[in-house]
Amino acid sequence: MASDYAIETSDLAKVYRSRWKRREVRAVDGISLNVARGSTFGLLGPNGAGKTTFVKMLLSAVHPTRGNALIFGRNAREPEARRPIGYLPENHRFPTYFTGTGMLDFYAALSGMESRERRKRIPEMLELVGLEQWGSVRIGKYSKGMLQRLGLAQALIHSPSMLILDEPTDGVDPVGRMQIREVLTRCEEKGVTIFINSHLLAEVELFCREVAILDKGKVALSGKMQDLTSGKGYRLTVGETPEALMEALRAKATSVASRNGFVDFQFATRQLANEAVDLLRAQRCEIESLAPTTSTLEEVFVRTVAK
Amino acid sequence: MKDSLTATVALIRDTFREALARKIFWGLFGLSTVMILFFLFLLRIDLMEGGVAFVSAFGRFNGTRDVDKLVRGVYGGIAAFLYTWGMFLAVFASAGLIPSVLEPGRIELLLSKPVSRTHILLGRYVGNVLVVSCNIIYLVLGVWIILGIKTGIWSPLFLVSIATTIFAFAVLLSVVILIGVLFESAALATMVASALMVMSIILAQTSFMLRLLSSEWSRQIWRTLYYSLPKIYDLGSMTLNAIQSRSFDGFMPIWTSALFAAVVLGCSLMIFARRDF
Repeated sequence: MASDYAIETSDLAKVYRSRWKRREVRAVDGISLNVARGSTFGLLGPNGAGKTTFVKMLLSAVHPTRGNALIFGRNAREPEARRPIGYLPENHRFPTYFTGTGMLDFYAALSGMESRERRKRIPEMLELVGLEQWGSVRIGKYSKGMLQRLGLAQALIHSPSMLILDEPTDGVDPVGRMQIREVLTRCEEKGVTIFINSHLLAEVELFCREVAILDKGKVALSGKMQDLTSGKGYRLTVGETPEALMEALRAKATSVASRNGFVDFQFATRQLANEAVDLLRAQRCEIESLAPTTSTLEEVFVRTVAK
Repeated sequence: MKDSLTATVALIRDTFREALARKIFWGLFGLSTVMILFFLFLLRIDLMEGGVAFVSAFGRFNGTRDVDKLVRGVYGGIAAFLYTWGMFLAVFASAGLIPSVLEPGRIELLLSKPVSRTHILLGRYVGNVLVVSCNIIYLVLGVWIILGIKTGIWSPLFLVSIATTIFAFAVLLSVVILIGVLFESAALATMVASALMVMSIILAQTSFMLRLLSSEWSRQIWRTLYYSLPKIYDLGSMTLNAIQSRSFDGFMPIWTSALFAAVVLGCSLMIFARRDF
């Protein structure tokens, strides 16, 4: 039963059919995705790309139309497959009659934790997310950011092997966001698989090592963050340059931009950048700077989704 | 097994917590207290002594036998009243406790736990039955003690109404659950459960109605409806007969109602297991 993957899906699909109008919507359209144990994985996509449906199928809240999903080698439909998962849903609605402590106690009990263990873990979790003073307060009084941190504590309380987080920093202020990142980094160090579904590309770029971009229910792009965002070219910045030379450089560059009396040339390969340097030095022109550039995840995302 | 028990207790406790937070528990408790106080008031106007005087004045008073008969009559009437009162209150109070669990943002988190959907729904069902049971026990026991102190006659058969009221509520709750799972509407669940209660009064007049109906197929429809729907009225009559030590025609209302509840609950579980959230 042991698997190298925390998540394995093959041809996973969900089609919503309207009973009367015979219309169908393919929310998820044959996704095959593997997430290695201990990795930090970001799932991205525009609104309606099928991210939340995909996550819900992993948790068996939505039944797939076809394909299957395995969690640590177990069929996701089995309740036992969800034991190693800590989940924080997007737009959660924790019952407001709970206190922070009561809420953690309830969800920990559902995860199978015994009373003694729960009593020990709850104060630790509240402290971990900076809510130690709020345990006895009804959660109806909590701010959105506090609810989010409490939700994270709920996901972590039973020491899961995998965290599935849907927009974990939604509504959280920058300090809170940093705290959440710190908590997640500690989990990563312990070997916990972290699967984040988020719109905040900068957050994902900062934290995740692997990423998949969904579009129209399919995986449009996936791979290691480093591979997707690195090695995209070289930026050469020059000062005063003769017009003829400018034309020659422009012909080699993928883009040209002027700023404060300098001109930035973007070259796709090292060879092209070197040829440009040779041309400039042959005419004794000054080079202000030369640096390799990387694409931001946002650029990769926009390029992928706009195709 | 131990994990399963922990989860069941958590689900039941959660139902109690929600019933307390929504003031359902204390609402039922308060109304039951009002009812008990009402009987306490009746005790002050000497209902029983008045009744004995009435029997003596209009016939030959036959000592303890007549008093016993009178007390049993009063007990039966009160039990029937408490049965109806308790049933309506319980259905109204608990109808919202199922749809609330299915709210988006709440159900996903519940389903993400290593607990089966059947377990979640049954945990909620049992929790609901226990919330109502606490109040019915309090109400019937309270009234029984007051009547016992007043009359000096402690009829243990009166306590049968605890079991029948809880049973009838459990049957109706299965309908509330089905409507909750299908439509997530507390109002509709209350309407359907109330309609079943009223229909059971009409359908209970089977022998009379079968004489009135002219065609065989309409009589067949009547019989089908009578035997397939829960017999809330008949269960109340059984309670009354038991308290008054009168005979009753078998246990058919109990087992057919139990069968109805099992089928409806089974359907609810099946629909809940197949639904996407």
